[in-house]
Amino acid sequence: MSRVIGIDLGTTNSCVSVVENGQSTVIPNSGGYKTTPSMFGISQDGKRLVGHLAKRQAITNARNTIFAAKRLIGRRFDDPEVQKSIDLCPYEIVRGPNEDPRIKVGGKTFTCPEISGIILREMKRVAEEYLSETVQEAVITVPAYFNDTQRQCTKDAGKIAGLEVLRIINEPTAAALSYGMNRQGDEKIAVYDLGGGTFDISILEMSDGVIEVLATSGNTFLGGEDFDRRIVQHLVEWFEESEGMDLRGDTMALQRLKDASEKAKCDLSMRDVVEINLPFIASDSEGPRHLNYELTRENLENLVHDVVEGTLKSVEQCCVDAGVQAQDIDQIVLVGGQTRMPLVQKRVTEHFGKRPHKGVNPDEVVGLGAAVQAAALLDADNDMLLLDVTPLSLGIGTYGGHFARLIDRNTTVPVSKGHIFTTTRDDQSAVKIRVLQGESDMANENDLLGEFVLSGIRPAPKGEPEVEVSFDIDANGIVSVSARDLATGKEQSITVSSTGTLSDSEIDEIIEEHDLYEVQIKD
Amino acid sequence: MADDRDLKEQVLVLATGCDTTQLDLSAPEGYLLSRIDGATAWRFLREIGGIPPEEVDACLGRWLAEGVLEVVSRPVASETSAPNKETAAATSSAETSESTPAAEAKAEPEQPTESTTAFIAPAIDESELDGALDIDEEVQRRILEFEASLGRPYHELLGIAAGSDPKVVKRAYFKLSKEFHPDRYFRKQIGGYAERLDRIFKKVLEAHEILSDPELCKVENQTATDAASAGPPSDVVAAATIPLADAASNEGASSSSAKPAQARPLTKLERLKQRMPFKINHAAIAERRARADEIFRAAQNSQQAGRLQEAEASLRIAITFDPGRAEFKEALGSLRIAAAGARATQLLAKPSERMSSAELLEALRLLEDVLPYRPHDPELNERAARVCLQLTKLDDAEEYAETLLLRSPEYSPAHTLLGRIHRERGDMDQAVRAFEMALKFDEEDLEARRALASVRIGARDAARGGDS
Repeated sequence: MSRVIGIDLGTTNSCVSVVENGQSTVIPNSGGYKTTPSMFGISQDGKRLVGHLAKRQAITNARNTIFAAKRLIGRRFDDPEVQKSIDLCPYEIVRGPNEDPRIKVGGKTFTCPEISGIILREMKRVAEEYLSETVQEAVITVPAYFNDTQRQCTKDAGKIAGLEVLRIINEPTAAALSYGMNRQGDEKIAVYDLGGGTFDISILEMSDGVIEVLATSGNTFLGGEDFDRRIVQHLVEWFEESEGMDLRGDTMALQRLKDASEKAKCDLSMRDVVEINLPFIASDSEGPRHLNYELTRENLENLVHDVVEGTLKSVEQCCVDAGVQAQDIDQIVLVGGQTRMPLVQKRVTEHFGKRPHKGVNPDEVVGLGAAVQAAALLDADNDMLLLDVTPLSLGIGTYGGHFARLIDRNTTVPVSKGHIFTTTRDDQSAVKIRVLQGESDMANENDLLGEFVLSGIRPAPKGEPEVEVSFDIDANGIVSVSARDLATGKEQSITVSSTGTLSDSEIDEIIEEHDLYEVQIKD
Repeated sequence: MADDRDLKEQVLVLATGCDTTQLDLSAPEGYLLSRIDGATAWRFLREIGGIPPEEVDACLGRWLAEGVLEVVSRPVASETSAPNKETAAATSSAETSESTPAAEAKAEPEQPTESTTAFIAPAIDESELDGALDIDEEVQRRILEFEASLGRPYHELLGIAAGSDPKVVKRAYFKLSKEFHPDRYFRKQIGGYAERLDRIFKKVLEAHEILSDPELCKVENQTATDAASAGPPSDVVAAATIPLADAASNEGASSSSAKPAQARPLTKLERLKQRMPFKINHAAIAERRARADEIFRAAQNSQQAGRLQEAEASLRIAITFDPGRAEFKEALGSLRIAAAGARATQLLAKPSERMSSAELLEALRLLEDVLPYRPHDPELNERAARVCLQLTKLDDAEEYAETLLLRSPEYSPAHTLLGRIHRERGDMDQAVRAFEMALKFDEEDLEARRALASVRIGARDAARGGDS
């Protein structure tokens, strides 16, 4: 049997791992790097480039190089996140026929699952080269906040890459699995994940290899980029004060400031002071102006202090949800490059009253965890068990447009839950069951997964008939919903299959096309 | 006496005529005694949790010797070897008798109930064992047994004492998860055991959920206590042995030993209600309602000030905040009619014959926007019919004209319009009939008169042409 890999499909970088002889290992690519940029580009002469090759030509070929496609996957074109990307990304994002965002590079339009598929195919290739055997199956990680469509699209991406996706698991859960492998005893683990654009905190409980998610919380609009923005803002204000010039309208200058700020931020994790040097940042009648600024670590910490405090608020909320005190946490696992910042580590240490776990690399821990889950499922020697959870609440729409939640988010699966509902009108003979997913109390703000009608209810005054609606999620996350009239025993049910933004035939077409392409490059 | 192993398979029952009130029982002993129902095998009594198996053995042995208990000749439950079929929905499938051991100790255990009320089926159907599966027969046996006894009280299911500490609950839950979680057999050939594992794990999960939540636990205990206090104390045992199927259908079902005053087992609905208070966030909804009202008032102000677009935007937001309110939707409807109507009137100030096709299309779009709100409005339908005729969308035009005629059957311009539609389509007979109708209601209708004349002349010409 061929081996199963774990892939951390990241916004900026991806990472592939495998469990060998009971040890999880990150697989380096042919360049020796343990992570591969999640980038795809088409060069001027029409060559398709992935990973480091794509990144290398990104600056000279910005319009035809795709990055951060994960921000778009599984969203609708009108989604604010997509609109934001349209403003920020140098490549062209167009409206697809399924109202999905598509990316136009090199004169060809790509769907988002296709782009992710190309990156997954690259990760598959990296693994195959290292293992010297073909790989057909994988466990892939996604952010905890991903909804059903985004997860399904990620699965579709795997299919496009020629991988069967055994499971999609949450990134923080994967981090905890990686930490928990080969560990005994009872522990409560907090996974603090501060990435580029989002912040996630999860609290998990582990005992003898069984891992259960207690709670997750976070902020999808808070991340490392906020740190950069604060530095840019500070520099712009300082420049205005000292030079009397406003750089806010100058996009070129702002882009340079942003790059320099990000670099300074990273450098300040190792050093106490960095010099930001941007010659010819602007010019006026008196000639060119240069920006020259010394940024100290203390300086930076003052600028971003409240952002870090913001993450700790989420941590507190998560502790409340999990029903634990901060000091009950036994281990803190840090994920994401931004957690390298000394201030973050210091505040996390202070908050929990103990130092974060040192043994894991924040860039690799998620991919490793995906491999651990693959081994846990298929490897008889692996004794780990992840009690996975459903990512979003499930329920039905009720009278007045409300959302009646039957299964809360983060409920362990497989699970089944039911409740009794009734009619709203006298002699009502049928009820419509609208199956919804989401966190809003308003039905129409949640995603409609499917609907069906239970008819043949005996005439009765309103509120009298009893219709039992039950939700059932199996171990593979497949949701089925049934409604039964308790008086007549009549029953109707529906199995909700999650759909991505592409139809099966579209996926098959893409696979065929990519297979053709594979042949082409071999010629 | 049979050897020890056989004895463990035996089912025990209270000896007839034994007065349990005379016994000096400790709390755990009382609880143990309450679990003796003439259906549960010794072996299972050892597993009820909270009492070490050795103590159970000692205690049962002593009672047997003292004549408090006797052995039922044959394990009754083998007759009910089919496990209780649970519906997937049954979040609260098990009746529980989980009150404090002390309370149970006072309760006088009843005479054995009839075999049909047995809820534990310790004997398993050996034919279910399948050596061809990727799963040891021993494990299969364990799964079958566990599944057959899913009706046990939650703490017994987890193998812990009633009222255990959440940490103990969690440990037991993890231990059973490791045994029964479907992922443990991922991709294995396990046949029907996949469904069994699914059922077992869901039940274990449920037990964990209830027992680790003090609130839910209280409801659970309350359920049991209510059942106990409503009837004679002896009913605790009986209530615990109501088969699931009966509890679900709730047709006055109970054990055949039912006494007139027996505690009614809670209906499924009642249990569900107690178990899961409806999870609607009323505070949040009230807040949103208030916000919706506020926005709605702002929209009305905008509308009065003539800022229709602004009013429309506000109304849409109000509807988002409170989608259930019909008045918001009505307001939006009439607002859109007002807005689209104003523009349509402006467009249609020109006779539709002189409009450019772009203008016609815009007018049609506006009308189609508005019509759903007032599907029978004669004026709107007439305009729509005229525009469609101009655009040679004859089927649509006919539909609008017919709708118009439904409301105002004696309105001659409508008949004329219909006639023109038929003429355009080349259906001269229909056209003539329509024009004649128009003239019937209004002899002065010039348009109809002319049209009728031209159709007749055309028909005559055609006929002559045909002759020559």
